[in-house]
Amino acid sequence: MSAEHSGEQPTVGTYLLVALVLTLVTGLEVGVIYVRRLAPIIVPLLVAMSAAKFALVALFYMHLRYDSRVLTFLFVGPLILASGLAVALMTLTGAFLVFGR
Amino acid sequence: MSTVMPRSDYAREILHVYGIITWVTLGIAAIVGLALAWVLTRFRARPGTTAMPAQIRGHTLLEMAWTVGPALVLLGIAIPTIQAVFRTQAAPPKDALEVTVRGHQWWWEFQYPALQVATANELHVPAGRTVALTLEGPDVIHSFWVPRLGGKRDVVPGRLNRLTFTADTPGVYRGQCAEFCGVSHANMGMQVVVEAPDAFARWVAAQKAESPEPAAGPAAEGKAIFASRACVGCHTIRGVSSGPIGPDLTTFGSRQTIAAGILPNTIDNVTEWIKNPTAIKPDAKMPALGLTDQQARAVATYLAGLK
Amino acid sequence: MSARPGSHVLQVPPAALPRLTTTATLASWLTTVDHKRIGILYGATAFAFFLLGGIEALLIRLQLAVPENTVVSAHTYNALFTMHGTTMIFLAIMPFNAMFFNFVVPLLIGARDVAFPRLNALSYWIFLAGGLVLNASLLTGTPPDVGWFGYANLTSLHYSPGLNVDFWIFALQILGVSSVMSAINFIVTILNLRAPGMSMMRMPVFVWMTLVVQFLIALAFPPITVGLIFLMFDRFFGTHFYDVAAGADLHLWQHLFWIFGHPEVYILILPAFGIVSEVLPTFARKPLFGAPVMIYSGVLIGFFGFGVWSHHMFAAGMGPVADSAFSIATMLIAIPTGVKIFNWLATLWGGSIRTTTALHFAVGLVGLFTIGGLSGIMHSSPPVDLQQTDSYFVVAHLHYVLIGGSLFGIFAGIYYWWPKMTGRMIGEGLGRLNFWLMFVGFNLAFFPQHYLGAIGMPRRIYTYRADQGWTVANFASTIGAFGIALAVLVFAINAWRSLRRGDPAPADPWDGRTLEWRTSSPPPAHDFDVVPPVYGRDSFWREKYGPRRGPAPGGATAEHPDGGHAGIHLPAPSHWPLLIALGMLIVAVGGLTHVALVVVGALWTLYAIVRLALEHHRTPEHAEQRGVLGLDHRKVAMWVFLGSECFFFGTMIATFLAYKGRSVVGPAPHEIFNIPVTSLSTFDLLMSSLLMVLALAAIQRSDHRHTRLWLFGTAFFGLIFLGFQAFEFTDFVHRGFTMQRNLFGSTFFLLTGLHGTHVAIGVFWLLSLWVLSLRGRLGAVDAIKVEIAGLYWHFVDVVWIAIFTLVYLIP
Repeated sequence: MSAEHSGEQPTVGTYLLVALVLTLVTGLEVGVIYVRRLAPIIVPLLVAMSAAKFALVALFYMHLRYDSRVLTFLFVGPLILASGLAVALMTLTGAFLVFGR
Repeated sequence: MSTVMPRSDYAREILHVYGIITWVTLGIAAIVGLALAWVLTRFRARPGTTAMPAQIRGHTLLEMAWTVGPALVLLGIAIPTIQAVFRTQAAPPKDALEVTVRGHQWWWEFQYPALQVATANELHVPAGRTVALTLEGPDVIHSFWVPRLGGKRDVVPGRLNRLTFTADTPGVYRGQCAEFCGVSHANMGMQVVVEAPDAFARWVAAQKAESPEPAAGPAAEGKAIFASRACVGCHTIRGVSSGPIGPDLTTFGSRQTIAAGILPNTIDNVTEWIKNPTAIKPDAKMPALGLTDQQARAVATYLAGLK
Repeated sequence: MSARPGSHVLQVPPAALPRLTTTATLASWLTTVDHKRIGILYGATAFAFFLLGGIEALLIRLQLAVPENTVVSAHTYNALFTMHGTTMIFLAIMPFNAMFFNFVVPLLIGARDVAFPRLNALSYWIFLAGGLVLNASLLTGTPPDVGWFGYANLTSLHYSPGLNVDFWIFALQILGVSSVMSAINFIVTILNLRAPGMSMMRMPVFVWMTLVVQFLIALAFPPITVGLIFLMFDRFFGTHFYDVAAGADLHLWQHLFWIFGHPEVYILILPAFGIVSEVLPTFARKPLFGAPVMIYSGVLIGFFGFGVWSHHMFAAGMGPVADSAFSIATMLIAIPTGVKIFNWLATLWGGSIRTTTALHFAVGLVGLFTIGGLSGIMHSSPPVDLQQTDSYFVVAHLHYVLIGGSLFGIFAGIYYWWPKMTGRMIGEGLGRLNFWLMFVGFNLAFFPQHYLGAIGMPRRIYTYRADQGWTVANFASTIGAFGIALAVLVFAINAWRSLRRGDPAPADPWDGRTLEWRTSSPPPAHDFDVVPPVYGRDSFWREKYGPRRGPAPGGATAEHPDGGHAGIHLPAPSHWPLLIALGMLIVAVGGLTHVALVVVGALWTLYAIVRLALEHHRTPEHAEQRGVLGLDHRKVAMWVFLGSECFFFGTMIATFLAYKGRSVVGPAPHEIFNIPVTSLSTFDLLMSSLLMVLALAAIQRSDHRHTRLWLFGTAFFGLIFLGFQAFEFTDFVHRGFTMQRNLFGSTFFLLTGLHGTHVAIGVFWLLSLWVLSLRGRLGAVDAIKVEIAGLYWHFVDVVWIAIFTLVYLIP
């Protein structure tokens, strides 16, 4: 099982640390929605925090950091494409009202 | 319904781009066709040959050439295309004639809000004046298409789409629904009558006037039947009824066709239609009211007089 | 080096060659997992559906031959064009392509089968189930009649009250499962099962096109799956996804459909491009001109194919900016496509061309697809398209690319690989006749349709008036259609004669360039006696005529577990694929009739899936499944699946956000969500991922007690999450917030409900592993199974991370 990995392996300590960070960021996310001064940037802020959690789980729990790069391409490629299509779909249906009519 | 015999600014704008692209594509087709024919003749294996042809794997310069070449050709197509997209979808001028088009299963409703006039299936517009159509739909998606006056635009329930054109030549132009909308999609035609401004004004006046009293005899009888039956629940005839569901019939007699462009407007055709609408237009929403041939003919005679 | 073709194939005694004939039993066909047999099954089934779709087309053409014709009623006609389109695309062209993927791709890469032979069989049986569901609608007199593209809201319960649309929905969903499953299988196969020395760039172009197509399938089907789920829920459960009165946008269906639909046309054509890229070099006796560029252009077409979908919507009213963007993107795609045409011409140039039937069809594609591509360029310009779309012009365009392109490519492939697949030669005389009848018939049928569109004939109309001036062209078109039918008849006769008494085919009848010609015709059950050596691109040609290249830098050097004749492991037949597909068929029938059958079918399917999963749990050869990339097949497959799931959930999240704020009545999100409670359930799910990695670490060090502890813990936390969700849903429903309440309800409940379903499946999976471990049947050698269950579980967690933020938190 270890032959396919790049040598370095995460320890239980790493996993626990990731779990802690995930908890903290989640708490932060819930916290910031009540902070009125952050309202103008709340969306990018939340998206960034959420993306950070997403990345932590993918890199460490799903082992992408330690696995063959092929697997990263297989997942991240569709992820980026899907995100792009989602943004396009929302733009075209007026969710962002970027191009108004 | 030709797409290449334009009678409006919109249709001409399209034909300009259409022409450029057609010539370009014909040119490319000729090149590829000739190349293919030549290659197949020149390099056909002669019987008995065993010599192996040179195993050429590629040629970077050539491949770059036939990547960049087509890209440039496409640029030549893209520029007039984008220009035409923006020109044909520009906001109409303030003095445009506003018409609201409502696509129903399977007929067309036309309302002129500024003129307080409504009609169905036959759209009248003045030549030389910009017409701004707003397309809306109470049921399913349809598509408004009168090829000689321009491209098509969908009628999408819940959205307001626009189509703007200035017709330049008086005449009668055929159109048809161009988005599959159910059983009788094929039977959802229309006519656009482009007329000189004074003729248009006369038509508007006739639409606004109370419908004339019918002559005595079958026409009067027909009106009586119309007024006393379910007809009034669906149809509007100014001064007689105000049914909101079916086509407005106020100047029905002056229309060239009936049932959304399907049949010529003759008393015989109207009689057959009234007797059994679904026989002519499958699944039409207009019910057969069980009129006898004589009754139906009377109503048809009445309607023929509504000019 | 001897130049005699076929001299390098090992001589195997004739008795050792199993023949692909009817001497094999019915049972062996029902349980086969052999890629060659599965390919034949796809091909034969595709041909049957092709004939059915062809009859539908002939009826259409008969009805349109003269104005105001009465061959069929309006209702029947509308069903005919719906069934014709759906059948030809999903039940004819795609499975014909699948026939080639299955039979030929493993041979082309020097493999003995695909990565997952039983899933391969399962894909076929599910496909058959889907085709049966669709055509069963003919027997009930309620065939779908809304067009193959089924635009909302014509497809709503209000405007289409019968079972017609329901048949269509269930058939397409079933077919989607088959296709995506097959796509994952072939991606893993091509990445992981290549013979030593077969680097990616040395693979035949047909294999590359197959690879691109599989990615397109895996990623493009989820959006239509979601769109169909929305439609199904609207029709069955009263949601509002396509309900204008509730604030829905009818463009949503069109976007979801065409985000699938456009990649779908590349799914249909790229295999044909791949076939031409094999056939032309073989019969010109020259390499494919610019093979790397052909590969890159195929990849580019596939990738950019995701960015052009709204060129099908130029009439829909998206506005000039969107129109322009999609117009430019569409024109850009023409560039790599045009490059292919020129490279094919250059392949023929300077060659020594043998005009076999296969070559005829391949050359036919080059010419006819050029015409179809050029009319496509016309469509790429919105102003022009607004005259051409929804008219017979686009009908001409699509048939030039789909018949002139895809079908001619398929016939080229049939004539080219017929000797390899059947062991017999097929007649060249009848083959030429087949080609010319098809070519003339097709052009007569469809070229006049450009003219019909130009003079204003709309499409999808069951009749037209005599005074339109459309009569002559329509009549000519009908004659052409019958010409095509005659061509197909000639093909059937040719095929029959070949199978009955065709000459036995040698291994290498064409002096071929690729590895399939290096084994007998047909190949033995194990494909290759020894894994073939790879000397570069066009490996077999290099073996015969040189120059031979050494191992490619970065090329595969991993040993195959079964190198050499003596150690070949052939996958064992299995009846579970057939039974799983049967269960899905019962679910579909239940959806159309009675919910009890849905329950029965679902339970049956679930049981059969578990049996399939455990069938080789203890088979030694299945323990280790590592391939060329140094990765386990199952791990690669799971990551591909997760990529596909990104599209599935991405589509639903995008819909939720697109519809946000459009509900006509309340409640609004901030009025109903309980953020503190949802935060707890989010925390719970995050922690469950921690337990999951601990479970994996435990089994990797053979600590089975802790494996069981953490597996159970993960499942338990999963159940807690589901408990929170059940609590939330019940609370909402009590307060009057249901999926029928408003647009927000529909999008929210469907998104989180489907996510919850994924969690439930994960819980079931983990508990199954836990039970296996309890019974002492989950050893360290099974760590990979825990690993891929973990990947699935973490992904479900990660989707929730996105949902929690984008649905609950964002104001």
